[in-house]
Amino acid sequence: MQSQMKESDPILEVNNLFASTNNLPILKGVSLTIYPGEIHAIMGRNGCGKSTLSKIIAGHPSYNITNGYIKFSGENINSLEPEERSQSGIFLGFQYPIEIPGVSNLEFLRVSTNARRKFLNKEELDTFDFEELVKEKLELVKMDQAFLSRSVNQGFSGGEKKRNEILQMALLEPKIAILDETDSGLDIDALRIVASGIKKISNAQTGIILITHYQRLLDEIEPNYVHVMADGQIIKTGGSDLALELEKKGYEWTDNFVKET
Amino acid sequence: MEIIEKITTNKLVENQTEIQKICLHKLKLSPLPNPKSEIWRLSNKSKFSNFLDYSVNEENLKFDTPYPKNSQSTIRLIIGENCQIKLIEENYSIHQLSEDELDKYIKEQISVFDQNENWSDLLNLSLSCKKNILGLKINGSKIPPIEIFSHSSSNSFNAKTLVIFLEKNCDIELLQVNLGKKDSSLSQSTFCVLDENSSLNHGVVSYGETGSNLLNSLNVIQQKNSEYNLGSLHFKFNYARFEINIKQSEGNAKTNIKGIQITKKDEQISTYTKIDFNGPNGFLDQINKSLADDKSHAIFEGSIIVPKIAQKTDASQLSRNLLLSNLAQIDTKPQLEIIADDVKCKHGATISQLNEEELFYMRTRGITLAEASKLQLSSYFQEVISFIPVSKDRWDLLDKLLNEN
Repeated sequence: MQSQMKESDPILEVNNLFASTNNLPILKGVSLTIYPGEIHAIMGRNGCGKSTLSKIIAGHPSYNITNGYIKFSGENINSLEPEERSQSGIFLGFQYPIEIPGVSNLEFLRVSTNARRKFLNKEELDTFDFEELVKEKLELVKMDQAFLSRSVNQGFSGGEKKRNEILQMALLEPKIAILDETDSGLDIDALRIVASGIKKISNAQTGIILITHYQRLLDEIEPNYVHVMADGQIIKTGGSDLALELEKKGYEWTDNFVKET
Repeated sequence: MEIIEKITTNKLVENQTEIQKICLHKLKLSPLPNPKSEIWRLSNKSKFSNFLDYSVNEENLKFDTPYPKNSQSTIRLIIGENCQIKLIEENYSIHQLSEDELDKYIKEQISVFDQNENWSDLLNLSLSCKKNILGLKINGSKIPPIEIFSHSSSNSFNAKTLVIFLEKNCDIELLQVNLGKKDSSLSQSTFCVLDENSSLNHGVVSYGETGSNLLNSLNVIQQKNSEYNLGSLHFKFNYARFEINIKQSEGNAKTNIKGIQITKKDEQISTYTKIDFNGPNGFLDQINKSLADDKSHAIFEGSIIVPKIAQKTDASQLSRNLLLSNLAQIDTKPQLEIIADDVKCKHGATISQLNEEELFYMRTRGITLAEASKLQLSSYFQEVISFIPVSKDRWDLLDKLLNEN
C-alpha cells in the first residue's frame, strides 16, 4: 500500500534505519513513509522498539543512528538537534510526560510556542496574547486554566499529563505528531477527549503516528495504515483491519517471526 | 598570613577594646584553626591563607549599595556607616544596644566559644572595631522589613559584627547582604537571640567580585515557641565559609533552613551547620543545595545534635547537590547525633547532574539546550530564592543568578 503513487511529497521518510544505544542495537532496519493527511499506527510488544523509534525521530541524544536516514520535508535530519526538529514541525507526545518542578506550565508553553512561531516567521507572543491563544486551545482538551499556573506536569494525574501533551501539540501545530502511547492511563472519557483533540488538530497537511498497544484508541481515530513492529523492525503493514486482527490474535505470532529471522 | 603574624606580634589593632583584647589573647594561644578538625579539614589551605593576607583597613569604606534603591517601607542599615538608629513607633521600636549591653552579651558568648568551632567569631571580634559592631534590640509587631549591609573594600580585610535581640512576641523580616569587593576579605559574624514567641524570617545573601573572600558566621539562640526561618544564598567568592550555629535552648521551637551555594571557576564555598536541640519538642526542616561547575569545590557539613533531654524532636536535613562539570567537586556530610530515644530524625544526600530526560523533554518542545538548562537551574534555585525574605520584591536574585551562571 505504501508503494502507491501519491500526489504530494512525503512529510517523513524513515529509510532502513539502524540505531543503537550503548552499543546495543535497537532498531534493525526500519522503513516508514508518511504523506500529508495520513494517520499511521505502530503496534507491537513492549521492547520491540516503538518508543525508541519515536525518540530517534525526535532526536534523543542517547541513541546513535548507525545506518539509514530520516528525512523530514525532504531534508535529512539525522544530525539535527531535538529543538531544531521540534521548531521545524516534529512533535513527540511522551508516553510518560516529564515533570519539571519549579517551571510554570504557562511559561513553558509560551517559550515552546514562540520557538515554533519564530521558525515559522510568525510574531512571537507576549504573555497577554499567549494567554488568549492558550485559553482557546484549552477548550480542545477540556483542561482547566488552573493547570497553567502549576509547574509543568507536576501533580497532574496520568490523564491530565496526556491532555497537557495534546495541548502542546495544539499550540505547536506540528507537521507531524508522534504520539507514544497517548492512550495509556486514560479512562474512557479521557480517551475520547484526547482522541477528539487529536482529530481537531490534524488536517490534510499533517501526519500522525500513533504508537499503541490497543485497539481502543484506533476505534476513536481510524488509521490509514497499521504497522507491526518486532525486534526493531516493521514486520507487517496493513490497513486498520490489521489492528483488529492483532486484537484477536495477540502478539505471540510476532515472536515466531523474530525466531525465524 | 599577614593578619595572623600581626596578631601574634600584637601589632594589629591600636586602642584595643576589652573584647578585642580577650579575643586576641585567645587567638594568640591558638592562632589558626586545627586543619585536621572536621569543620576545617576540607578547607583549601592556600585560599584560606589568601583570605588572611589582606591588611585591616577601615578607611575609604564608603560604597554605593549596588541596587536596588532604598524604599520607604524598608529600613536599611550599613554596618560601619550609618549605624545610628532609634525608632519608636506605635506598634514597634528598634533601639541600638548600649555599649554595656553589647559588651555583656559578647563576653558571655566568648566565654563559651570553642577554639575551632568559633574560630571565625574569635577572629571577627578580634578585628571588629566599635563602629563596625551593630547591636539592635527590636520589639513589637508590624515592623517594616530590615536590610542590613556588610561589605569589604578592595585590597582590605574588613570585619563586621551584628547582634540582634528579638524581644517577646516580636516578628520581623531581615535581609542581610554581604558584599565582597574585588580582592578583599570580609569577616561577618552575626548573633541573633530570639525571645519567647518571637519569629525571625532571615535572609542571608552573600556575593562577591573577583578574588573576594568571606568568613560568615551566624549564631542563633532560640527560646521556646520561637520560630527561625533562614533562606541563604552564597555565590561568586574565591573562598567563602558560611558557619551556622543554632541552639534551641529549651526545645519547643521551630527552625526552617533553606540554603544554596553556587561555585564556579576554581572557587570554594562551604556551609557548616550545627543545630543543637537543648530541650524537647524541637522542630527542624533543613535543605541545603550546592551547585558546582568548572573546577570549583562546594562543601556541606551539617550536624544535628539531639541529647537525651530533647525527646520528641522532629528533625529533617537534606543535602541536594548538582554537579555540572567533570572537574568540579562536591563534599557533603549530613550528620545526626542522637541520644534521645523518642525522636523523629531523618537525613539524606543526593548528588546529580542536570536531568537529561527533563532537558530532552524541553528540547522536543523547541527550547534550546542552553534555555532548557537555564529553566532547569531556575527551578533548582527557586525553592531557596523564594524562601529569602524581602528579596522577592526588591532584588532580582534569580535573574542575577541565571545571568551569571
